[in-house]
Amino acid sequence: MTADPRDRNADELIRLEGLEVHFPIRGGLRDLVRRRPSGFVRAVDGIDLTIRRGEVLGLVGESGSGKTTTGRVIVKLTRPTGGRLLLDGEDVTRVWGGDALRAYRRRVQLIFQDPYETLNPKQTLRDFVIEPLEVQRIGNAAEREQRVLDAIDTAGLRPAADFAFRYPHELSGGQRQRVVIAGALVLDPAIVVADEPVSMLDVSIRTEILNLMLDLRRGRDLTYLFITHDLSVAWVIADRIAVMYLGKIMELGTSQEVINDPRHPYTRALVSVMPTPEPPQPGRRARRVILAGETPDAVNIPPGCRFHPRCPLAEQAGIMARCRTEEPPLLDLGGGRSSACWLAESGKPLPAVERRLGVFPATDHAGVVPVAPSP
Amino acid sequence: MSAPLSAPALTPDAVRGARTRLRVRNARDLAGRFARRRDGMVAAVILLVFAVLALVPALFVGPLETVTTATGTPFEPPSLAHIFGTDQAGRDMLNLTVHGTRISMVIGLLATIMTILLGATIGITSGYIGGRPDQFLMRVTDFFLVLPTFVLAVVLAPIVLDLVGIDAEIFGIKATLMVIVIVIGLTSWAATARIIRSQTLSVKERMYVDRARVIGGGSGHIMRRHILPNVTNLIVANTVLTFAGAVFTETTLSFIGLGDPFAPSWGQLLNSAQTSGAPGLGAWWCIAPPAACVVIVILAFTLVGNALDDVLNPKSGVRR
Amino acid sequence: MTLMPDPGRLSDVTETARLDRAGAAADADDARADEARADVGARPTEAAEEAPLAALSGRAAIRGRRQWPLPKQADPDAPLLVVEGLTTHFTLGDSTVHAVDGVSFTLEDGEALGIAGESGCGKTTTALSLLRLLPANAEVVGGSVKLFGIDLCTKSEKALRRYRWREISIIFQGAMNALNPVKRVGDQVAEPIELRIGLSRAEAARRAGELLELVGIPRSRGRAYPHELSGGMRQRAMIAMALACDPAIVIGDEPTTALDVMVQAQILELLEDLRAKLGLSLILITHDLSVLAETCDRVMVMYAGRVAEEGPVGRIYGTPRHPYTQMLLAAFPDVHSGRRNLGTIPGSPPDLRTPPPGCRFHPRCPAAMEVCRTEVPPEVCLDDRVRVACHLYPPGSDGVPVPLPVTRAAVPDAAVPEEAS
Repeated sequence: MTADPRDRNADELIRLEGLEVHFPIRGGLRDLVRRRPSGFVRAVDGIDLTIRRGEVLGLVGESGSGKTTTGRVIVKLTRPTGGRLLLDGEDVTRVWGGDALRAYRRRVQLIFQDPYETLNPKQTLRDFVIEPLEVQRIGNAAEREQRVLDAIDTAGLRPAADFAFRYPHELSGGQRQRVVIAGALVLDPAIVVADEPVSMLDVSIRTEILNLMLDLRRGRDLTYLFITHDLSVAWVIADRIAVMYLGKIMELGTSQEVINDPRHPYTRALVSVMPTPEPPQPGRRARRVILAGETPDAVNIPPGCRFHPRCPLAEQAGIMARCRTEEPPLLDLGGGRSSACWLAESGKPLPAVERRLGVFPATDHAGVVPVAPSP
Repeated sequence: MSAPLSAPALTPDAVRGARTRLRVRNARDLAGRFARRRDGMVAAVILLVFAVLALVPALFVGPLETVTTATGTPFEPPSLAHIFGTDQAGRDMLNLTVHGTRISMVIGLLATIMTILLGATIGITSGYIGGRPDQFLMRVTDFFLVLPTFVLAVVLAPIVLDLVGIDAEIFGIKATLMVIVIVIGLTSWAATARIIRSQTLSVKERMYVDRARVIGGGSGHIMRRHILPNVTNLIVANTVLTFAGAVFTETTLSFIGLGDPFAPSWGQLLNSAQTSGAPGLGAWWCIAPPAACVVIVILAFTLVGNALDDVLNPKSGVRR
Repeated sequence: MTLMPDPGRLSDVTETARLDRAGAAADADDARADEARADVGARPTEAAEEAPLAALSGRAAIRGRRQWPLPKQADPDAPLLVVEGLTTHFTLGDSTVHAVDGVSFTLEDGEALGIAGESGCGKTTTALSLLRLLPANAEVVGGSVKLFGIDLCTKSEKALRRYRWREISIIFQGAMNALNPVKRVGDQVAEPIELRIGLSRAEAARRAGELLELVGIPRSRGRAYPHELSGGMRQRAMIAMALACDPAIVIGDEPTTALDVMVQAQILELLEDLRAKLGLSLILITHDLSVLAETCDRVMVMYAGRVAEEGPVGRIYGTPRHPYTQMLLAAFPDVHSGRRNLGTIPGSPPDLRTPPPGCRFHPRCPAAMEVCRTEVPPEVCLDDRVRVACHLYPPGSDGVPVPLPVTRAAVPDAAVPEEAS
């Protein structure tokens, strides 16, 4: 836990180095005899990521990408099985108890996805918001009550004293999410990990919550890791976007860059199928790149580039052999952009897709028939 | 930070006041819902009657009649003087039955307390901690689950009595009765522990428990503040039903002779009736009153327990 | 308010088997008569004279392609589905929830209609009311649902079963709940075929295999159990089930909501394909307006149990009239146009036990006028086939969209990199 001067970069708040989370699959008599798990679910399979102070970093991926697990590692709900986690230059990977953990939790908080589940139905709002202060033993009784009111008020629930004594079932979804935000703020954290904070809310409420989060960022110097499957929401709120697939980061760049000029075939496919509330235009449908199949199981990760079985470009560009055998690292393309694709190595934009759905996939891995549901 | 608040700050007193008001409101809600269940209400009234009888039996029937203070002749059938007749020593059956209420209920209560304390603690802890300790505790629970009540009683009773002596009193209760309490507790806690553990397992997976961990809560804090309140409803419903079971078990143990012959619990009365040959003589009045009381009380407990369960654990989607 | 129908409703299928087999014989006679009538489509000049809408010739052609004959009472010239003034109420304790209040729309053969709205607007209840798959405390209290001119609202529960699944079927939200976990997927698809149509088990199994392939599931996967399939595959299996009896209309209730965006695109593409191949009509229900733009011909926006606006998809998205439609569209991020300012709709949907008088949107409408508070806005058909229910567009209005007098709450341009560096 000593601060290595080489690790220190004033701009960096959180850094992940080679982060791995492998869940062993247990079960069956054979495992008991062998005393080893029969396989691993490689939910997170080697990630390098930096979250800068004051930014909103969007972590985007479909189910099975490992984005939620990454978030859980950062808030220390899940133990990593490899790699390092650094907060402000300090290696906190092995912090798992006592005062060190408590101090860490004061700085790193989480907004959960489901505002209906995050609130204990038996707790009043005040109980919910004051709990972190009590657990962390911050301030005296009067100070705590005041902080609670401030937090509820800042989250937009006014008059705060009125709301403080309500129960969750008396509130709407948007109001509940505000309470969850108040509960995350009350400790005055440095970074908030938001796991799908608006997916369960009605569309018209989402904007309010997103606005609230951005206001708070400005007012309190907050940093966000915004985890979502919805690329358009990430585009609206995030400064930078990292796209994950099967446990690794495929692309990283500013949100404008990633959406307008994706340098990874997966990102490009995602962008092309993003629904927009626009009147239909001719030719738009033809430009959609719909990948065949679904994200395979994280137990059987394809060799080489893990995306190659579903990649519409690999065969076309004639580099299939390399994609099948060598896994591309997250290549630095300069200017803060990176992409884990051999085709992007040159730094030029990706070639156009020549063929449409029905002709991919190129190999068996991607088939329409994953044997088991994705994690 | 934020704009100045329009409302005055919350003082700890204001908080306490608001919380009390909330609690009162919740309690009244629950009471209202319970009152709408006629079966539960009738049963509750019956239990109330028995509770009063248990507390002040002398108020209704005078002091407990002993062999020396018997007021009637042996095996008198029911008459105006003795509504339930008399037993083999001439004691008024009504008198004995009412006094028996106290003993049966007190034993039931103590046994229930022991069962719930043991069962809830082990259930919550085991369910929350998981892993090896959970496996170990569950094997212990299984062991107690299959322990036969009566065998245990028969074995334990003489041992305990030997240790403390027949006339010893623990907390004002005779050692012989204490044995019954212990036996019932030992054989009932395991079922309760299983039920509560299973509820704990499901509560443990809830998002709000995750959240409690993220803000820095330790295991103890989470068990107290999040698991327990969400398990309490189940515990309350379970307690009432355990009480019924305890009364029944006590009756049975006393009936087979493991009770205290000088403490006239209902089971003991049945035992006396049997050993003194009442059935052969056709003296049904020595058997019916205590037996009827046992049945009524257990039924009442069960009805109240079910009503409480419905009120406290509303199950969505059930159409009535 | 839970509007989830009992997925066990599919067992309705088994109960009507006996009746269906009895009716099949009578139907066969009518089939020959129907075929004769369907031949009308083969004479294009006569069809063109009868109606200006292109739908008519399409209608005859699509109806001629049907595997099974039209229902006995069907009127071959009537539009596929005409819903008028549909009203459904829920009874909750002592109060009545006016979930659907006077909803009307028309669906032609081969058309895809999208029903959009936020939670609680009544879109799912509307769909369930068409099939009367409502929970016990709900009831259709008014209006008519005319399928091929046959009013389903006047049919008894028994008679209605002739139409469920065979003319109108539904893909439920959350395929995981609607599939029987202990039956193989192929068997579940074959079940309605065997029981409703009366084919032999082997025939039904063969046809089930065909259906699975049609939706993109290899035939061999039909032997799998639901939990062995991924989310997208399960949804495809549900679509296969919905197609089992070759219905005229398929209703999709949030068919892609729980799915990844790529799988969502696959499923929508599949529905498009099926529509083209089979001449299917679709009713897609969703809260996500962005999803409907590419898939539907017409879109109907609902609010608080009533229709706010309805029309061709290009019109609704391009020139939305109703203030709710405008505000709702503004709340979705639009990546391709670069609009990062998202709108918000202050307030929350009304409690349908005591809906506001007059226009139900008026408490949240920035353009609300006095009349909105007292009078229910009439539905006005504008020239470009758009229907709108708003006092801003009274009868006889020219239909020019009225822009809203409001400054939208904007998400400030999150372009921090320029600022920070």
